[in-house]
Amino acid sequence: MNNLKTIIYAAVLGAICASLLAGVEQFTGPYKEANARAERMRNVLEVLQLPFSKERSPQELAEIFAANIREDSFGGLPVYAFVTPKDEGAVKAVVFAFEGRGLWGPIRGFLALKPDMRTVLGITFYEQQETPGLGGEIASSWFRQQFKGKQITGADGRGGIRIVKAGGARAENEVDAITGATMTCKKIEAMLNETIEKIVGVYLNDDE
Amino acid sequence: MMNNQSQSRPACAARGLCCGRGKQTLSEGFWRSNPIAVQMLGICSALAVTNRLENSLVMGLALIFVCIGSNLFVSLLRNITPRKVRMIAEVTIIATFVIVFDQLLKAFYWDMSKQLGPYVGLIITNCIIMGRAEAFALQNPPLLSIVDGLANGLGYAVVLAIIGFFRELLGTGRVLFFERLGLHIDLSGWYTSNQLMILAPGAFIALGFLIALYNHARGPESEEIKS
Repeated sequence: MNNLKTIIYAAVLGAICASLLAGVEQFTGPYKEANARAERMRNVLEVLQLPFSKERSPQELAEIFAANIREDSFGGLPVYAFVTPKDEGAVKAVVFAFEGRGLWGPIRGFLALKPDMRTVLGITFYEQQETPGLGGEIASSWFRQQFKGKQITGADGRGGIRIVKAGGARAENEVDAITGATMTCKKIEAMLNETIEKIVGVYLNDDE
Repeated sequence: MMNNQSQSRPACAARGLCCGRGKQTLSEGFWRSNPIAVQMLGICSALAVTNRLENSLVMGLALIFVCIGSNLFVSLLRNITPRKVRMIAEVTIIATFVIVFDQLLKAFYWDMSKQLGPYVGLIITNCIIMGRAEAFALQNPPLLSIVDGLANGLGYAVVLAIIGFFRELLGTGRVLFFERLGLHIDLSGWYTSNQLMILAPGAFIALGFLIALYNHARGPESEEIKS
């Protein structure tokens, strides 16, 4: 009898709390979605190094985004193409999304390429939970700045950016790793190259 | 303190805020057994989010909201909750309120939600809330439990706000929240910002000073009143 009462109590309490949370989720869902969209736009604008202030509201971000960015696809990959309103159609840069598993959690980021589709314009990691001070340094500007101007293919034309032992980066597709964050760097290298392989693959198909 | 409450006559407790108990509960939670300065509870979040005043204020608000809500519902259900599952019931109620606050923050104050990161969700494990539910709300009527939740939430929030204010001011030379209100404090002319205050050790130092000050203000005699 007593057990039955306990079970009924737990079930009723659980049901009430669950339906309350479901209601809150229903109510906040659209707002959260809008925030996530604005966040995505902000990251795309950031990787393109377009000037905008961090204090911009989601509406303003959406306006800048709409004026400069065209959502497109490149060989089946969804991309954001940066076109200035003045010379319509002329693509100034293309942003690819990449993601993969880091050491502690998922890593997501954007890679911006110049119109030649080989030269890196910029890179961001907007979601990462790597060890602060070690792997977490991937989000710092010194690490990201290295990528600027690098080629996504080596001299032999094969795809891939290589993250090499700190201080050893010489070739046009090499960047220095973070000392003490070998695992994070390896994982980033792998997820970047997965995307790069697809990009390069599109080119090879086009050439033939 | 806990003896005090369980000794209270049931007739008095049933009528809720009578006999000045509301006032007593308020000052007890806020001042005489302040959750941070005296009970040393909730220290983890108090140290983690106080590098800016605005973060501290939002975190304090979250704790007030959750503490009042959980105290109220634990108290309302105190006579029908089976002893065996009371802690599970408390955690369920606390978690519900925490998630509601977290979702609202994510929807309407996205930037702050990003800055506070996991710490809003971690309020579920905050000892202050569980402690108040167990030590107070289970034995007291709803209205008085609300007062107790408010008192303890405020006690936590004010400590966080003070630490947050000094850490931001000494660490960056300015306070962003005040600037938003149009009140500019800028020390950069004569003060070199001390990065240490923004980092974790700065939180320990600030909290240490605050507790020392608190103990001084509270004085030794109040210890005797309680024992």
